[in-house]
Amino acid sequence: MDIVMYVLLGLGLLFFTGGTLGLIRLPDVYSRLHMAGKIDTMGSISLIAALFLHEIETFDMAHLLVGLKILLVLFFQFLASPTACHAMVNACLRAGLAPWVKDGQRSDP
Amino acid sequence: MKRLALFTVILAGVLFAATASEFPRLGDPDSAPSRHLSPAYIQGSLPQTHTPNFVTAVLGDYRGFDTMFETAVVFLAGMSCFFILRALRRRGLTEVYYYRHKPTGVVLAMLAPRRISPRTSCFERIDADWTPQDMVVETMCLFMVPFIQVFALYVIAHGHYSPGGGFQGGVLLAASFILVGLSRDLRTVESLLTEKTAILTAAAGVCLYAGTGLLALFFGGNFLDYGAYASFFGAAVPAARSMGILIVEIGVALTVMATLVTIYKLVSSRGTVEEGL
Repeated sequence: MDIVMYVLLGLGLLFFTGGTLGLIRLPDVYSRLHMAGKIDTMGSISLIAALFLHEIETFDMAHLLVGLKILLVLFFQFLASPTACHAMVNACLRAGLAPWVKDGQRSDP
Repeated sequence: MKRLALFTVILAGVLFAATASEFPRLGDPDSAPSRHLSPAYIQGSLPQTHTPNFVTAVLGDYRGFDTMFETAVVFLAGMSCFFILRALRRRGLTEVYYYRHKPTGVVLAMLAPRRISPRTSCFERIDADWTPQDMVVETMCLFMVPFIQVFALYVIAHGHYSPGGGFQGGVLLAASFILVGLSRDLRTVESLLTEKTAILTAAAGVCLYAGTGLLALFFGGNFLDYGAYASFFGAAVPAARSMGILIVEIGVALTVMATLVTIYKLVSSRGTVEEGL
């Protein structure tokens, strides 16, 4: 149980580090939103899952109730955050923001 | 005149600076409010009102007048937005109504509104700046709405035990309506909660709060003293106060929800409440 928890925590931190680096370093809004989506879904979900495992380590009714609430947070974050990301990218495309391309390459219309 | 104003400001600043050093430090246990007032609330709120969260007890009962007029201020803000922003006659705006034939995507422009039933007709009314609906966003937002509303009711009812209460729950309820407006269109929100209903709901919330206070007079208590309802509820005085706090929180939530939805409708449609986000 403990090992799974540590692995999930490490995975979450890894995604958070990569996502934050990408959010600062990547060139345009699409790739940055891609990184933000990584942070929100994979990073947070790993951390929340680790929290859930930590919570139900002492298995009784009170801890199970809190764990259930944590699982609900996980569920709604899993649904809402990619939707928000999708809506933002969609709005950017409709507003006519061209994706960034490397010098010399043709941009796909 | 300007010099006089400057002199007043400087005088007030000097007075403030001179007296600021006399203030007790933040959280000083020997200051006057920490010695008498705070312990009275902290120790007295549970036996007097049966409300473990004493922030709610102070907000809803000890300082009931303050919260009642806060609710009235929210209502007045909504009414002022209505009177300032609402475009009574749509003069100057183009009176063209767009209808889209759903199977082919052909859009007809009409100079007068047509009545269509949304279920049987193959036409749908669309906005002038209409863009095709995004299925992912619309499906997910409409899926989230009932959960947000259930959570809002939980926040309202659970304010006695955890952070929450009427203002927060009302904002969450309004957010669920605004989410429908963002993912569908304004007319869907208008059909769910019309302008008239919203303003009546906001007024009803204030009336519920003030009426709860006023009714206490007829039960022989003071204004906003919910302990007077003890005989009516058939419970002890502290339990009756707890019930009274719940009732006024519901009034606050109604007012906040209806006011926020009204303001959103007016701002997003430039005052016409016809078409918008």
